[in-house]
Amino acid sequence: MNFSTLKRRWRALIHKEQLEQELDDELQFHLEQDIAQNIKSGMTPDEARSAALKAFGNLVLSKEESRDARGVRWVENILQDVRYSGRLFLKNPAFSLVVVLTLALGISANTAIFSFANGILLRPLPYPDSDRLAVVDETALKRGVNSMSVSYPNFLDWRERNTVFEGIGLHFGTNRFALSGNGQAEELRGSYVSYGLFEVLRVSPVLGRTIARAEDTPDTDDVVILGYELWQRRFGGDTKIIGQRIALNTYSRTVIGVMPPGFKFPEESELWAPLGLTPQTFTRTDHGLSAIARLKDGVTFEQAQAEMDRIAAQIEQENPVSNEGLGVGVTSLHKNLSGDYRKALFILLGVVGCVLLVACVNVANLMLARASARQKEVALRAALGASRLRVIQQLLTESLMLAVAGGVLGLLLSVGALRLLLASIPIKLPFWMNFGIDLRVLAFTVGVTVLTGLVFGSIPALQTSRVNLNDTLKEGGRRSLTSIRTFSRSVLVIAEIALSLVLLVGAGLMIQSFLRLRSVDVGLNPKGVATASVTLPRLKYPEKPQRAAFFKQLVEQVTALPGVEAAAATATVPLSGGFWGRSLTVEGYPVLSVGQAPMIQHTVVTPNYFRTMGITLLSGRDFTAADTAGAPLVTIIDERLASEYWANESPIGKRVRFGPPEDNEPWHTVIGVVRSVRHERMQEETRKSVYLPHQQMPVNGMSVVMRTSGDPRTLAPAIRRVVNQMDHDIPVNKTPTMDEVMAESVWQPRLYTMLFTVFGVGAMVLAVIGIYGVMAYLVVTRTHEIGVRMALGATARNVFGLIVGRGMKLTIIGVLLGIVGAYGLTRLMRSLLFNISTTDPITFTSISVLLVLVAFIACYIPARRATKVNPLVALRYE
Amino acid sequence: MKKQKADLLQGTLELLVLRLLSSTALNGWDIMQRIQLVSGEVLSVTPGALYPALHRLEERGLISAVWDTSENNRKAKYYQLTTSGRKQLESQRKQWERFSNAVALILRDA
Repeated sequence: MNFSTLKRRWRALIHKEQLEQELDDELQFHLEQDIAQNIKSGMTPDEARSAALKAFGNLVLSKEESRDARGVRWVENILQDVRYSGRLFLKNPAFSLVVVLTLALGISANTAIFSFANGILLRPLPYPDSDRLAVVDETALKRGVNSMSVSYPNFLDWRERNTVFEGIGLHFGTNRFALSGNGQAEELRGSYVSYGLFEVLRVSPVLGRTIARAEDTPDTDDVVILGYELWQRRFGGDTKIIGQRIALNTYSRTVIGVMPPGFKFPEESELWAPLGLTPQTFTRTDHGLSAIARLKDGVTFEQAQAEMDRIAAQIEQENPVSNEGLGVGVTSLHKNLSGDYRKALFILLGVVGCVLLVACVNVANLMLARASARQKEVALRAALGASRLRVIQQLLTESLMLAVAGGVLGLLLSVGALRLLLASIPIKLPFWMNFGIDLRVLAFTVGVTVLTGLVFGSIPALQTSRVNLNDTLKEGGRRSLTSIRTFSRSVLVIAEIALSLVLLVGAGLMIQSFLRLRSVDVGLNPKGVATASVTLPRLKYPEKPQRAAFFKQLVEQVTALPGVEAAAATATVPLSGGFWGRSLTVEGYPVLSVGQAPMIQHTVVTPNYFRTMGITLLSGRDFTAADTAGAPLVTIIDERLASEYWANESPIGKRVRFGPPEDNEPWHTVIGVVRSVRHERMQEETRKSVYLPHQQMPVNGMSVVMRTSGDPRTLAPAIRRVVNQMDHDIPVNKTPTMDEVMAESVWQPRLYTMLFTVFGVGAMVLAVIGIYGVMAYLVVTRTHEIGVRMALGATARNVFGLIVGRGMKLTIIGVLLGIVGAYGLTRLMRSLLFNISTTDPITFTSISVLLVLVAFIACYIPARRATKVNPLVALRYE
Repeated sequence: MKKQKADLLQGTLELLVLRLLSSTALNGWDIMQRIQLVSGEVLSVTPGALYPALHRLEERGLISAVWDTSENNRKAKYYQLTTSGRKQLESQRKQWERFSNAVALILRDA
């Protein structure tokens, strides 16, 4: 096709009306010339006209063919189809609305879940070339530890010896900083970071500079970098802030830089101070740091891993005691951050895909039902010369138009759905998760929409276009194809039931798993317990006795509050994400190296903690005010630890010590045994625990816990007031109740359960509508037959059985297929389940029964109607 | 479906049109009249055959069209031969002559 042809065709499309007009004009001219000539040869104008028209032949046909010559016939066909379909939809708005809504719901669920997955798995992190960023952590594979935080001397060796990283930096997680002065004290999230970390991330400050190497040392680390939002909020965006000193944790630091808008790292941190570590203050056995590296150009993650393996082996050889069995892991930062969600998201995508499939099947079913009404129309078109392809094209255009309408509405709905989804996540999601609608989401939605249109459109299109002209036109187009069509519809219903059974079984497993999770005995009684975290500025309270005194007094004042039955303080609230792991050495057992000594959960509490939290004291005594710094060192252990070392004797009076075994910390005497508490996860027992009295181990950050017989939420203002009276530089930010802490710790299983349930029930509703539709249609098309049967003596009961039996047959086949499918598919969701087998027979049975019952009701209504058929009316009906 | 009165072979009509347009630009009606006149009323063509043929030729770039006024002062579409139309006419004419000679030979000898 050369250029001028192309140009002509383009013109033919764009200037369609003009061309039509020209064609009319040209033929009109011809006609008039003929008429004029006829008049000249003596005819009357009327005769002349009719003679000319006769001679002219089929004006329309010649127009058709002249149009064909333009070569854009197919595009015009499509436009014509679109217009025609549009008219059709407007004529039957109820049908169109049902179809569009069904599709919109399916597509919006898919788009919402996809945007969620996109934000977490696909969208790059907000750092330049973020795919080259790696998390470098330590491993102790022989002890089953896949990932462990980093020790400072190890990091220094990595930095010095590696040739694979462009740069490597450290941070110390997220810490709380109290910003005082300049108004109300505020608790901020900030991080201690090594020099070079910002360079690894390739983020430059908008003002000032980053941390210099010389500032990353203990004596000159009194500098700080502010986040942009913090700078705007607290300092009004004053550019003169650089060089000024601000009070953080009542320690004065010089502001040296401001980071760009939106930058937060890690998680929610918005201010950064130098780590200022030395290998002496943070030894090889102290782990707790996180390292981020940027791979050199051309270096793969595998190559980096190989080199770091080599370096780890060297370090182990040089430090056989501290580094025994320690390795290094190099993983992509993005994978590392999204790890928790990855599996669940893939499963959810599969689940919503299934829901959309059910929606498609349902719409296909509706289209088939309508197809019978259109049989005559299609036959007529075929009789008028439309090819089968042309008819299919018309029908597919209709389907695609419905799909597009559903897609557009779905996209709009998905915005709301996503908002709902995000609102049900109780934790503050990391800032790098961005769930906005981007090109990838749009492409996904468009793809899904088109696919949907083709999937639900193709079956009816192929079915309907297969017409037998004679039969259809002769018989009024009803009975000849009924059987084929009913068969197709039955297959669709079976598919719907099977799919929704799979989804419902998934939902059933999730619900049971979640209920079991919520009823897990975590070892404490959360009812009526409120918590409030209080962090003392280290510099204002540098001495241990000061800290001990502060919390002792705070607990006393809180206990005196009206409505408070008991109060205490703890360094780590169970299930709130705070752990403090230390190595354990037991007197009388061999002293193990730090690499082999067991890690235990190390919790510092004040007296009365166990009573306040409802943790049963099994033997011995609780801490008292007499367990002071000068008194003998004591500890309370949990029953799991007790049974491991002293299965057949009382642990009371035995001695244990903590920390790296070679450090020889002092021994603590066991004075009591308490029930085990699940500190880390509700899902499983993790580490065994020990408790130490706060007076003997004063830490600066504690959470006050208090029990009341009333609503624990009402205690929040009182505790704030008490803390503020004691020291108004100390902020109290979060005051969740223990119930809230526990609910929050299982937000992921809860969210997934909720989504599974919504999708499962949605699919079931669609399936039920599907089976109802088929049965109702069956009754209508077989009214005549039913009339005959009744006239011949069939009872209402027989007729009822006929219809319900038919529906139940489809249901049972669907359920059986669904069970097979679910049996194969639920194993994929094993990682989401707690304490329940993926093939739990009770779930499988009860869901099957539920589905059969619901389907029975769906058949019952049309079957009842069938029994009401009046034979006389039915026979006359034809 | 198409019952054309004119017993024109497919392609013959196009050749005739090209020939008629080789001397002057004509509108559709003129072309019809001339085919009838020149052939001595032996050949006739219907608008239903002529106009699609004209548009096909135009689509293939063998003829081009302009709007002009007719002798009786009416707007009409006038077709004229393009360069490639002229070449096409030449080759088709040769082909036709070979073909009709061949047919004539067979008819005479057989």
